[in-house]
Amino acid sequence: MAHSAVVSSEQYNYDIVKKFAIAAIVWGIAGMTAGVYIASELAWPFLNFDLAQITFGRLRPVHTSGVIFGFGGNALFATSYYIVQRTCQARLIGGKFWPEFTFWGWNLALAVGGIGYLFGITQGREYAEPEWYVDLAITVVWVVYFILYTGTLMRRNQPHIYVANWFFMSFILATALLHIFNNLAMPISLTSVHSYSLFSGVQDAMTQWWYGHNAVGFFLTAAFLGMMYYFVPKQAGRPVYSYRLSIVHFWALSFMYMWVGTHHLHWTAIPDWTSTLAATFSILLLMPSWGGMINGIMTLSGAWDKLRTDPIMMFLITSLSFYGMSTFEGPMMSLKSVNALSHYTDWTVGHVHSGALGWVAMVSIGSFYHMIPRIWNTTLYSTKLVYNHFFLATIGVILYITSMWVAGIGQGLMLRAFDQYGNLAFSFIETVSFMHVPYIFRAIGGMFFVAGMLVMAYNIYMTIARARQEVPATTTATPVQA
Amino acid sequence: MLKHESIETNSALLIVLTLVAISIGGLVEIVPLHYIDSTVEEVKDPQTGLEMVRPYTPLEQRGRDIYVREGCYTCHSQMIRPFRDEDLRYGHYSLGAESKYDHPFQWGSKRTGPDLARVGGKYSNEWHTQHLTAPRSVVPESIMPNYSWLATTPLDYSDIKERMIALKKVGVPYTLTKDEYAGWDEKKPGDQVVRHPGTVERFGEATANLLDINRAEQNIVAQAEKGNYDGNPELLSEMDALVAYLQVLGTMVDFTKFESDYFVQFR
Amino acid sequence: MLATWWAWITDLGNSKIVSLLIFFFTFISIVLYVYTNKARSERLESYRYLPLMDDDAPKPPAQQASPKRDEK
Repeated sequence: MAHSAVVSSEQYNYDIVKKFAIAAIVWGIAGMTAGVYIASELAWPFLNFDLAQITFGRLRPVHTSGVIFGFGGNALFATSYYIVQRTCQARLIGGKFWPEFTFWGWNLALAVGGIGYLFGITQGREYAEPEWYVDLAITVVWVVYFILYTGTLMRRNQPHIYVANWFFMSFILATALLHIFNNLAMPISLTSVHSYSLFSGVQDAMTQWWYGHNAVGFFLTAAFLGMMYYFVPKQAGRPVYSYRLSIVHFWALSFMYMWVGTHHLHWTAIPDWTSTLAATFSILLLMPSWGGMINGIMTLSGAWDKLRTDPIMMFLITSLSFYGMSTFEGPMMSLKSVNALSHYTDWTVGHVHSGALGWVAMVSIGSFYHMIPRIWNTTLYSTKLVYNHFFLATIGVILYITSMWVAGIGQGLMLRAFDQYGNLAFSFIETVSFMHVPYIFRAIGGMFFVAGMLVMAYNIYMTIARARQEVPATTTATPVQA
Repeated sequence: MLKHESIETNSALLIVLTLVAISIGGLVEIVPLHYIDSTVEEVKDPQTGLEMVRPYTPLEQRGRDIYVREGCYTCHSQMIRPFRDEDLRYGHYSLGAESKYDHPFQWGSKRTGPDLARVGGKYSNEWHTQHLTAPRSVVPESIMPNYSWLATTPLDYSDIKERMIALKKVGVPYTLTKDEYAGWDEKKPGDQVVRHPGTVERFGEATANLLDINRAEQNIVAQAEKGNYDGNPELLSEMDALVAYLQVLGTMVDFTKFESDYFVQFR
Repeated sequence: MLATWWAWITDLGNSKIVSLLIFFFTFISIVLYVYTNKARSERLESYRYLPLMDDDAPKPPAQQASPKRDEK
């Protein structure tokens, strides 16, 4: 057994997977810490310290880019390279150089972009803040990624392309499309770091939220579903519940997501029909989303006891539950009447985090706990620490979204309240005071989640350190059981 | 016949069909907005016939650049929705036309602070300067960061011409030539004459002067001196530019000149 | 008859209904394709095992995070 494992690590390019996995954890801790910091700034504004570089407005994109593209992006590179090789039973193409190119290219681009935000270099577009030169670099990296991925698919030793790869493929294609069209801009000059967007006003808003929502749809959903379709069956040791359902899931999701971006612009100056269309598709989207969730959770049918005994499985199944919850909440918030209250409030922020922490982060964490021991050809340092991580993360997410429901719905209701004479019942600043307590709880929730990430980092560090020790003396080493 | 089996086994086909599936939604929703005329209404002064929504003056545009730089959009929206409470709190709902020269748009998605689409003219320059420098000195419950460096940092407008030229390239009617300024007649075959209106005809002489790229530097200095936005005539600061921008927000369309339900037809 | 149908379909004013029909038809055909024919169903479901076949171990998928080297 150990013998064939050695063969497998020679057969596949695990080196690149290792690099991306470590980068994901590092970015995760950095990005989430930035998140906790800006959350604390909202609760205790003195934390801005009158320093331009760390004010909320400049630090917030550091948080969002850090977690979405740093943590999420690196996790996706790692798992997609791992999955495509293992399900195709073929080595990643591009030799040593090109996969490394995607690693350094992606991470350098993010670092340059992130440092730029601190100095006010931003496009001012949510989740697409990097300026034009970083955007160009990302485009190059992405094209190489696409070629490596497709090339590996074409080299496969299996006639069939496993469904996880379909999801990754749609993520790569959609992200390319979105990135290019949303970042069309005119640099002030070739030596200037600043630019102005090609579109303005209404058209710009549409393009941006078409991008913004599909960053969620394809970057943070489709791709992580690819992760789910591989790691849930692997960890459960049983095949996915229904392969046919996964096919329907894939086509419905890929088709529908692109229609719904406009639900971020309900009641604004965009034409009404786009808004209605987006709301309709948002409701329809509930079906493929829940189809996917059921497919994932039911994979465990007949082995439910794993939910009690296997903390990795707990991460994966909890992530699917949060996925189900936020894909129900999302369509509900896209109804124009609900949106009238929820839009512009922290309810949206809470919703994003139930998806981003509950679904995206948890499914990545579960997948990493499964994958990392395998690529280092060892066992996990401590299962107990995985339990601890699980509880820290779950408490963190629940504190986070509950406090944001209170803050968001509370503010929404206060802003639309009238007194008996028909005057506004509350001034805006009264809603700000009201949100102070929920903001404190939100920051604490975030701290719990970061604490969990630190536990993970320690566990993974020890796992890798032990794996390195073992290599010279494979015959004598016995893994410590936690 | 196209079989799903061939999709499952042919990566090129999978790529093409996935591209088709993901492209349709975006095409249907976004492309028409660039061609349907009613997407952005035209707002002309009923008396003079001049366009009410004008591009930003160079000083206001630099102020807007600072607004984007500081990430104000992460806490403030610039898009008032057609609800009674928002109408009472902020004013008339925002028109698409009011952000037609906004590259990029700054409608925002979150109101940690109030909407700013019509903040122009609501507070004095002194209030803005004091509030931006130390928000809690005027609004004790505020959680906004202090932007104390704005009033002490000189405004860099060395690249203002490049900035305006870049904006001109993406469609903002700043002018470089006499023709663009005063308009010109284009003679087409068959004695047809097509009139291209200049900025003077569109916005009036005074505004057209402010949109002239050749005069950008003088205009910045002149507007800052005249407005004295930060209360410190010694220094043309970033505060001058930002306050000039905030003070023009939402003031371009004079809603008193229209019937109260005039804009409903464009929704 | 056919001509009037064609005229109705190509009329841009009807594009909403036409596209709705096309998409709905496509969706139904995917579902029918996937779920009808028994042999095909079996073939499709056989792909479920794909991720489990790549295991380091030639053994069936029951492998867990169990200590590999202990078994040596």
